[in-house]
Amino acid sequence: MVTSPPPDSPTTARRLRAARALWRVVAGRAARLASGAHQAWRRSLQLRVVTITLVASSLLVGGFAYLIADKITNILLENAETDVLVRLRNGSEYASSQLKLYNQPQEAQLQDTVEGTVNYLAGGDPTQTSGVVVAITADNYAGVIQPRTSPDVEVRPLISEELRATVAGGKIAHQIRTGTLGGQRTKYLVYGSPVSTGFGQVELYYLVPLARQDATAADARATVVATGAALVLLLGLLAALVTRLVVTPVRVAARTAQRLSAGLLDQRMVVNGEDDLALLAASFNQMATNLQRQILRLEEMSRLQRRFTSDVSHELRTPLTTVRMAADLIFAERDEFDPAVARSAELLQAELDRFEELLTDLLEISRFDAGFAVLDSEPTDLVPVVHRVAERLAGLAERAGVAIELDVPDSPVIAEVDPRRVERVLRNLVGNAVEHGEAEPVRITLGMDQSAVAITVRDHGVGLKPGEEKLVFNRFWRADPSRARQTGGTGLGLSISLEDARLHGGWLEAWGAPGQGAQFRLTLPARAGDRLTTSPLRLVPADAALPFGGPRDGGALAIGPGSGAGALAIGPAVDGKAEVVS
Amino acid sequence: MRRRVLAALLAGALLPTGLAGCGIPDQTEVQVDGSGPAAEPGSYNGGGARPPTPADTSEPGPFIENYLKAAAAGEREQAYARAKDFLADAAKDDLRERKQSSEIELTVVRLRENLEVTPPNNDRTSTVTIKVQQIGVLQSDGTLAPPVASDTEYVFKLGPDPRNSSELRIYDLPNVLLTSDTALRGYYGLHTIYFWNAEQNRLVPDRRWLPLAVPGERRVTEVVRWLTKGPPDWLSPGVSKLPDGTQLINNATSSNGRWEVNLTMPGANDSWLAKLATQLAWSLPELTGQLDLKVRDQKRRTVDLKQERAEQPAFPAGGRPERFAVYEGAIHPLTLGEASGSVPVAAAKNRNVISAALSRSAGDQVLAALVVSRPDGRQVLRVGSGPDPVTVFNDSRDSYTAIGRPTWIRSLDPNHPGGLVVADGRLYRFDGAAGMVPVPLTVTGKVTAVAGSIEGHRVALVINGALHVAAVNVDGTTFSVGQPRRLFTRLSRLTAVDWIAENDLVCAGYEGNRPAIYQTTVDGILETPLERDIGAEVTQLAAYPGSVVGVLPSFTYMYEANKAAYKNNPVDIIKREQVKDVATPTAGKPAANPTAPFFYY
Repeated sequence: MVTSPPPDSPTTARRLRAARALWRVVAGRAARLASGAHQAWRRSLQLRVVTITLVASSLLVGGFAYLIADKITNILLENAETDVLVRLRNGSEYASSQLKLYNQPQEAQLQDTVEGTVNYLAGGDPTQTSGVVVAITADNYAGVIQPRTSPDVEVRPLISEELRATVAGGKIAHQIRTGTLGGQRTKYLVYGSPVSTGFGQVELYYLVPLARQDATAADARATVVATGAALVLLLGLLAALVTRLVVTPVRVAARTAQRLSAGLLDQRMVVNGEDDLALLAASFNQMATNLQRQILRLEEMSRLQRRFTSDVSHELRTPLTTVRMAADLIFAERDEFDPAVARSAELLQAELDRFEELLTDLLEISRFDAGFAVLDSEPTDLVPVVHRVAERLAGLAERAGVAIELDVPDSPVIAEVDPRRVERVLRNLVGNAVEHGEAEPVRITLGMDQSAVAITVRDHGVGLKPGEEKLVFNRFWRADPSRARQTGGTGLGLSISLEDARLHGGWLEAWGAPGQGAQFRLTLPARAGDRLTTSPLRLVPADAALPFGGPRDGGALAIGPGSGAGALAIGPAVDGKAEVVS
Repeated sequence: MRRRVLAALLAGALLPTGLAGCGIPDQTEVQVDGSGPAAEPGSYNGGGARPPTPADTSEPGPFIENYLKAAAAGEREQAYARAKDFLADAAKDDLRERKQSSEIELTVVRLRENLEVTPPNNDRTSTVTIKVQQIGVLQSDGTLAPPVASDTEYVFKLGPDPRNSSELRIYDLPNVLLTSDTALRGYYGLHTIYFWNAEQNRLVPDRRWLPLAVPGERRVTEVVRWLTKGPPDWLSPGVSKLPDGTQLINNATSSNGRWEVNLTMPGANDSWLAKLATQLAWSLPELTGQLDLKVRDQKRRTVDLKQERAEQPAFPAGGRPERFAVYEGAIHPLTLGEASGSVPVAAAKNRNVISAALSRSAGDQVLAALVVSRPDGRQVLRVGSGPDPVTVFNDSRDSYTAIGRPTWIRSLDPNHPGGLVVADGRLYRFDGAAGMVPVPLTVTGKVTAVAGSIEGHRVALVINGALHVAAVNVDGTTFSVGQPRRLFTRLSRLTAVDWIAENDLVCAGYEGNRPAIYQTTVDGILETPLERDIGAEVTQLAAYPGSVVGVLPSFTYMYEANKAAYKNNPVDIIKREQVKDVATPTAGKPAANPTAPFFYY
């Protein structure tokens, strides 16, 4: 008895480890190969077309090849069977006429006649080797009549019990068997027929080698397979060629389109001939030309517009300065005017301030639009910046009755930012918050982690309706256009702030819910040029009510089919079951 | 996507498998192609009485008689088995068995006397002695070869069977497979087959023995095998064989009364096949239908057996037989109830005749051979031929003391007739001009009688008082006599012989010390006594072997004994009144008897 070492023995463990390592290597290779193949499959139209053509044509050709080979084999077999059956019938008739002369199985010359008959049926000469073996057996008279075979070989193994039983039962039957008769292993068509004699029945068997038929069938099969394989290869090649004809211009078009999209608007495809692909190329070129023209026109228009905005702003500034100086003078002397004029002077002063701010903002915007905005980053401690903004807006907040709360870390929060722009953003955000604060406190929170700094400004005003989080950053957007502007907001502040944030590679996001106020969050990378992945602070404030009241305080919920068709019912889970019991 | 990949993989895997699978399978189920031929009930028409068994008798004498029958009582191949049933286990090895069917030979003996049985002694053993005459050895081809053994006495020791004490068994026996002539008569049948003579114009009969147990259908096969194997030794000089290599392929078969014989026959041509067809037609007298002769499965000739026999006689039957006798030195016709003709010999030459042989030849030719006595008492042979009556005769140059009755060889060319005659104890050949040439014989001894058969290719001889047969080989204008084959007859000291039928001889000799006439087959096995109480030695014997019907009853013979002529059917002396054309005897002178009777046909 062989005992195998226990599985935890060191060698087994080592072997297991080695096997696992090998498996990992193999699996890894396979996975890489599979993923490579997968990638190639996804990327190459040609590969796909060729593969599909190969598979489809293989199936088709294989099916046909099978049919043809099967047909040929069947015809060969049928011919052989017909031949042998005719021979068998004649042989049976002959043997019957010979053996009918004997009325007793014990008769002396019966054995000689059996032998002579077998030799005669096998072709007369027992030494010749046509391969056909003829045998007469007498299963019903075993021991009395010896079976005889010509040529004298052992045929018992080739004649199966079933065949013998069938033939002994008075039926002509056949079977293909493989066996060795003297020489090499050959397939034999074994045919058996009962032979009636004067004393009863003996059985005549023909064993015809199917070597020739087998060889012919194999030849035919090989030919069919070779032809099929050649056909499949040819089809694959053809598919590859055709696809290549189609794919190459498509690839060229794709490349050209990529270049076009990359801004190389003067890229064009080569047009060869007059076929569909040439048409495609021509159309593509046409489209590119049109696009180029359109883009250039739009660019020009945009440039003109920006130039116009910038020019208008500049041009307005000079008269505005003059108007300003005049207005300042009037404003300074307003006490001397009658109250209505004084009031007008004050209005003039205020509107001029707004106008100036608007011009400044427009200039700033146009600078952004023209791409002239330059980031002037330097390591800056944001804590003083926050304090400064809070202080500057303290007056406004006081007027609005809004308390500005600061949640600032004690330690300095250093980030590589442009302090001027950050301050402008903060001022804008806090100003907006104070403005829409509805006399509720405004909270400024500063947070940081390894890669980013964030500042949130939370108010508790009317909040934002769903969808307005994005709209707030649009130029001159108003939540309620009918609402009169109480403060001198230009409607460009958040747009500029957004541009400032983008200039830093940061985010400026808004959250708001009706009745719950809003929160804006500015996230900036701690080092200039880094990519942001997360923000140190949450956009949605912790005190915000979640939609539908947020998660309940109670136990788990369960879901189940509702009362109506297709309706679902949600209810408290009973006994921890996840399904609603209706 | 994944499914497509799977399908592709599946297709790739299935394709080679499928193609490999569509070849000829290694093995299939049994497929039935229909019912085989329905078995027909066999018909058993083999004959023969039931073989004797050891249980048939517990008397030693009959037991041995049964034993002698056993070997013959059934198919030859089982002869040893049947005989061994009679042997005690200890003795079974004494009878050495021959495995090959062709080697099984039956020693045929004739019991000369009754069995001598010593009465059983205390342990119930007894001894049976048989005195036998060896007849020959029955061979596989049904011919009887000359005997090998010379024993005249065989002794058997019998005792009770240890298994069944009421039965006897043989404990000691001669180590040959014995059978008796009576057993052959009971269990075997005689068949005549025909061989062509050397000139292929006459069929020469040959007799073969076949067990009655062999069914009728297989007799055809046996006959064809006999024909292909050829004639027995003694007959072979006179006949021709089938071409070398002629063999029957398997058995001759019949369907719907039509027989089919398939042969290998190297260089078969139509004339050979025609000859073979005639041979078969005559050798198978019991068949009347069609017979297809095939050479290697090619049907070459179809013969209607009955028609063939009618159209192709085996040999010329000879003319209408007439009886003659010699009376007062001249040949005279006899009137014994049948029509009688005139003497076909010119009266001038019909003198001093002692004996004569007349034969009808083709074209109304008459062959006449007369033994005439010269005045000096010596005898010469006078031979003549020509149209009836024959006038031209030649006498032999030499004279002899005694010349036996001559016989014509009927197979010779009519233009060159010839015959055989015994003169002074020697056999001579004579021709149409009475030239006598001694015939050398391999058997030495005194030749006393000669008789030619009806087809002219066999002669019966009496040499040293023993019966012989020999073949006559015709070679153009001349002929020779083959080696005589001795026949063992019950008679001894034979004096006269003639052919009484195609294959039967009639011979006269002594049974013990009593003259008798026996009919015997040409192989000597079957013997029938015809006359046993003849007062004197038979000096001449003549029979009519022909088959011209309605003239003479079959087996008609005449003989001369004690200077008087006798006939059979019924046996009677031929009286002077029955001799035609004789002058009324003068009174007072004792009326001489006709002598040397013979048949002219």
